[in-house]
Amino acid sequence: MSIVDEKAKEVDAADSPAESHCATSVDDGNGIAGLTILFFIVGFTASLFVGWIVFPKLLYSEKQQPIDFNHAMHMELVDNGCESCHFFRTDGTYSGVPKLAQCIDCHQEVQGDSEHEAVFVEEYVSKGREVPWLIYSRQPDCVFFSHAAHVQLAKMDCVTCHGHIGESTSLKPYEYNRITGYSRDIWGKELKNYLGLKTNTYDRMKMNDCAYCHLEETGRKSSVSTEKDGCFVCHK
Amino acid sequence: MTQEHRKEKKYGMVIDLDKCTGCGACMVACMAENNVPFKKDETDKLKSITWIRVYKLTNGKPYPNEEICYLPRPCMHCEGHNGHSPCVTVCPAIATDYDRETGIVSQIPTRCFGCRYCMGACPYHARYFNWWDPVWPEGMEKSLSPNVSVRMRGVVEKCTFCFHRYQLASEKAALDGRRELKEEEYQTSCTQACPAGAITFGDLLNKEHAVYHLKKDHRAFRLLERLGTNPKVYYLSSREWVRRSGDNYHPDEKTGEIISHH
Amino acid sequence: MKIDRRCFLSLGIGVAAGTALSPLPWKAMDDSSIWSQNWPWTPVPPDGEITYTDSTCTLCPGGCGITIRKIDHRVVKIEGRKDHPVNHGGICVLGLSGPQLLYGPTRVQSPMKKINGTFRKISWNQALAEITEKLTTLRAEGRSHTVAGIAGSSRGTVSGLLQRFLTAFGSSHFYSPSSMEDSFSQTHIQHQDKKTIPGYDLENSNYILSFGAGIIDGWGSPVRMIQANSAWKTKKIKLVQVEPMLSSTAAKSDQWLPSNPGTEAVLALGFAYVILRESLYDPKAIDDHSDGFKAWGAHILNNYHPDKVAEVTGIDSQTIITIGREFGRAGKPVAICGRGQGRTPVSVAEMNAVHALNVLVGNINKTGGVFTLPEPDYISWPEIVLDATADSGLRARPISMGGEWLHRFPNAVTGNEDGINFLFVANANPCYTLTDTKEAIKAFQKIPFKVSFSSYMDETAKLSDLILPNHTYLERYEDIPVASGLRNHLVGLIKPVVDPLFQTRHTGDVIITMAKSLKGSIEASFPWKDYSECLKTGLGRNWNAFTDKGYLELNYIPEFEEVPRFAFQVPSEIPQIPLEGDESKMGLILIPGDSLRLSSGDIGSPPFVMKTVPDTVLKNNDSLVQINPKTAEKLGLKKNGYAVLKTPRGEKKVKISLSQGIGENVISFPRGLGHTAYDDYLSGKGVNFNELIGPVEDPVSGLDVAWGIRASLTKA
Repeated sequence: MSIVDEKAKEVDAADSPAESHCATSVDDGNGIAGLTILFFIVGFTASLFVGWIVFPKLLYSEKQQPIDFNHAMHMELVDNGCESCHFFRTDGTYSGVPKLAQCIDCHQEVQGDSEHEAVFVEEYVSKGREVPWLIYSRQPDCVFFSHAAHVQLAKMDCVTCHGHIGESTSLKPYEYNRITGYSRDIWGKELKNYLGLKTNTYDRMKMNDCAYCHLEETGRKSSVSTEKDGCFVCHK
Repeated sequence: MTQEHRKEKKYGMVIDLDKCTGCGACMVACMAENNVPFKKDETDKLKSITWIRVYKLTNGKPYPNEEICYLPRPCMHCEGHNGHSPCVTVCPAIATDYDRETGIVSQIPTRCFGCRYCMGACPYHARYFNWWDPVWPEGMEKSLSPNVSVRMRGVVEKCTFCFHRYQLASEKAALDGRRELKEEEYQTSCTQACPAGAITFGDLLNKEHAVYHLKKDHRAFRLLERLGTNPKVYYLSSREWVRRSGDNYHPDEKTGEIISHH
Repeated sequence: MKIDRRCFLSLGIGVAAGTALSPLPWKAMDDSSIWSQNWPWTPVPPDGEITYTDSTCTLCPGGCGITIRKIDHRVVKIEGRKDHPVNHGGICVLGLSGPQLLYGPTRVQSPMKKINGTFRKISWNQALAEITEKLTTLRAEGRSHTVAGIAGSSRGTVSGLLQRFLTAFGSSHFYSPSSMEDSFSQTHIQHQDKKTIPGYDLENSNYILSFGAGIIDGWGSPVRMIQANSAWKTKKIKLVQVEPMLSSTAAKSDQWLPSNPGTEAVLALGFAYVILRESLYDPKAIDDHSDGFKAWGAHILNNYHPDKVAEVTGIDSQTIITIGREFGRAGKPVAICGRGQGRTPVSVAEMNAVHALNVLVGNINKTGGVFTLPEPDYISWPEIVLDATADSGLRARPISMGGEWLHRFPNAVTGNEDGINFLFVANANPCYTLTDTKEAIKAFQKIPFKVSFSSYMDETAKLSDLILPNHTYLERYEDIPVASGLRNHLVGLIKPVVDPLFQTRHTGDVIITMAKSLKGSIEASFPWKDYSECLKTGLGRNWNAFTDKGYLELNYIPEFEEVPRFAFQVPSEIPQIPLEGDESKMGLILIPGDSLRLSSGDIGSPPFVMKTVPDTVLKNNDSLVQINPKTAEKLGLKKNGYAVLKTPRGEKKVKISLSQGIGENVISFPRGLGHTAYDDYLSGKGVNFNELIGPVEDPVSGLDVAWGIRASLTKA
């Protein structure tokens, strides 16, 4: 402490107008502590603000879907729930987002008065172009995810992982991480997800979330290195 | 929602060297199935990635007494002691792992950071390092399969017993509400392609699978058995010099009399 | 109050603490590690629906059934078709590499015309108009007979259409390559008028005596042969391989007889001696189905004593006696020949000697033996209409049925007064596959206008004036007749698996369009709307079965009673085809070593196939020549050292690979290297064997039966 003070004095001597301030501050111990704490608090809160509010805003970029889609309305029209359009192929693979061929049956002509439907028929159906949907739940290429194993064998609901998208009347913007390029739905929507806390099962779908559920639900510890489920269960 | 476990399996291979003709179909079937890259010059075999490689063995005798035997070498998927295969033990990244459920040694390229310890540990040269980024001539990337991730420069890759085929077959079985696969539902690409029918693949623990019986054939041997790697690939040969070349024998030792340590 | 350093220090601590308690560093670290696993420059193959389509492989004459795996509209894998009678699910390196040909950089993407030495893209209309104009002029000038065609095969509708076009146009210049099958046909033609194709019932034989046939090196239908070989192993059926080097077939045989090169026929007659001497032949079969046995038998017994044969062949007399006995007593033995892959014919004398063994044991048209099949006949087209010009054109050169041997093509260009003015090449690459390649190319370049139908930029396409690219075999319909030594004729169907990727057109369609634009009798000879109609109506009632199964089995099963009469021919003094070259100057014999790991035919090896080539065959861009260490020592050559390989036909720099699998003074390397066209994965690698060997005609049949050539190796 004393060394610092001496050095401070040397500097101050060269810069006389500041001398009195310096003297005061040396005398007034409480004032210094207060200011130091204030600076700490400012730095602390500012960085919390940046870290919790600004950073997530900067980290994610938004893209709009090419056209809007009303899940809720379609759900009313189909007999078989989600599987009416998002179905399993006969070889057990999952079809994912419907292709144009599935929509064409009803949408050869414009059905309703939605502006988006008109665009869909004009731009995609009549031109035979597939809609470049942005897929919220697309996993990285190295991940193999078997819908059949989860839905058919483990009897899980779509909602468990995908949330209540089936009840939505319009599509939310697609947010992607500027660093990783992946969808925010995979890497965590809620702020507290950063702390590893999830309110809903579908809040985040990172590897640890998969591994956690696999351990909890199956109890499998077939991996020699991790004593969890084997790597090749989900990776390719 | 706790589920019943799948039966423990040990997937393995029995390769009949009496039938193998060295035609190389297994090598190409593997490359085509697993998106294995190629370069303009593939004559430096140390740097040529072939998950399964056909070696040419000779008995070393002069003309006309030379004999040749072809030996296809995939990854041996060593079990070692309780799943501690040589490569898995040394991997600092858990990029390679032994799965007790299938007996398959996995390799996750995204996880690998290319230290190549596993390559040093593998006594079979079954692991390959990507010294370069893979490049496909324009348009040819259309022939790549989405079932296997494409690798990049700086990671190690190896035979996975076409594990993605196990994943796909399991999906199909799941749709039928089955957990267990039939023998013919999961076969590797090389097994399927081999015109000589020299490769047999299946669960070494399952009496209904052909490999269970073939591995007990009097011609059967494994490579470098005395190292204790406990490999899951068996070879069949009626020629003693071939069986003998599968391990480092002392001149006094009898072929095939290696005491296993496990 | 004064803001000092301590305040800033405090601010810094505050920021650090706040940041640490915010997600920023942890999330950024996590995301960065995920970012480090993103490799945007490596392709991510798009996912989609997996479908399978059956078709037929056309990359070699084997005719295997294939199953193509697609992801949405992309071909990602070709596998063997499980329920196909030829290959039962098996497949070879070349068949597996098919997607690399479809999507590879060697595709010709649109019609191309050579202008001042470089190819320029032109439209189909322009290309066809130019051809019509040229052909019309030639016809008007009475030179229709100088238009020629080369096809990869003499069978099937596309080859048929080309031949038909030439005939209607007024030319008999049609060339197709010959093979071991032609040797067999020629052997029978010498004896009777009917053309006969061999069908080997190898799966049911119980003793196989092979005179150099590369059973597992690509002879016949390669996958079928490998499967037969495996079946023999399971059933413990003996395979005896006669061959001067330890090929894969020799290595996997139960007994290898390392004969002196070129002495196969003599050895066969040595075995015949044993069978005759010990009365192991079938007298009734010989009586019923052959002529001249007595004289022939006497000749053999007088001239082919095992001791004498041993001297010529290098196989000791005891072995000759043992194998002769085994063959005679086996019950269902079969003797086959056709060196290596059997793509080069053998002499009639050799075929006669080997076939005599089969006749002796009476296995013709019998289970496990040799079946005599007629030419496949399943296409019915209306008669060709010929006008006066066509008539005179055809009379200018006599028509030879089934076309001419391809090896005579260079001579037809240079040795003929009229020569060839216009050439079509379909499914063939003569500028690579013809022996004495340099001379063949010279002849090819003399032709004023050459049109290639190749889908790929191969050697011939590169030297052509116009390329009219065909769809690849994964983009078109066509019939693929398979003979290749199968027990029964089979016609495979190829069908479009994907829509054509580029501006290519079916060669069948192009020929029909050309015929229509030439009008008159030529147009009248092609009464079809397009190729599909031509194929469908040509197959008639077989069409439905053809498309249902994907192949057509022509169930012609000849009865034993129908065995064509075989005439035993007393062999000339030494039934051997002499080697080209002066032995005193060139003391070595160069023979090809065929391998399934290289495509030696019209299609160049795709990258995957090149990857399987051992480094004892190709190292960097150098071909390695297999040589016995003793020979190498004698010549002062070292392992991996460079040497100059010289034959009467050419000279190449090679590297030395020592091998105990080859006898002294014999050297070998495989066909299929030394391409000058295709892509960087194939071009400029190694030496083309065909450049070092030249055609040697069989005095009896006229087939090119060169099996080797004298050579010298000197240190470079």
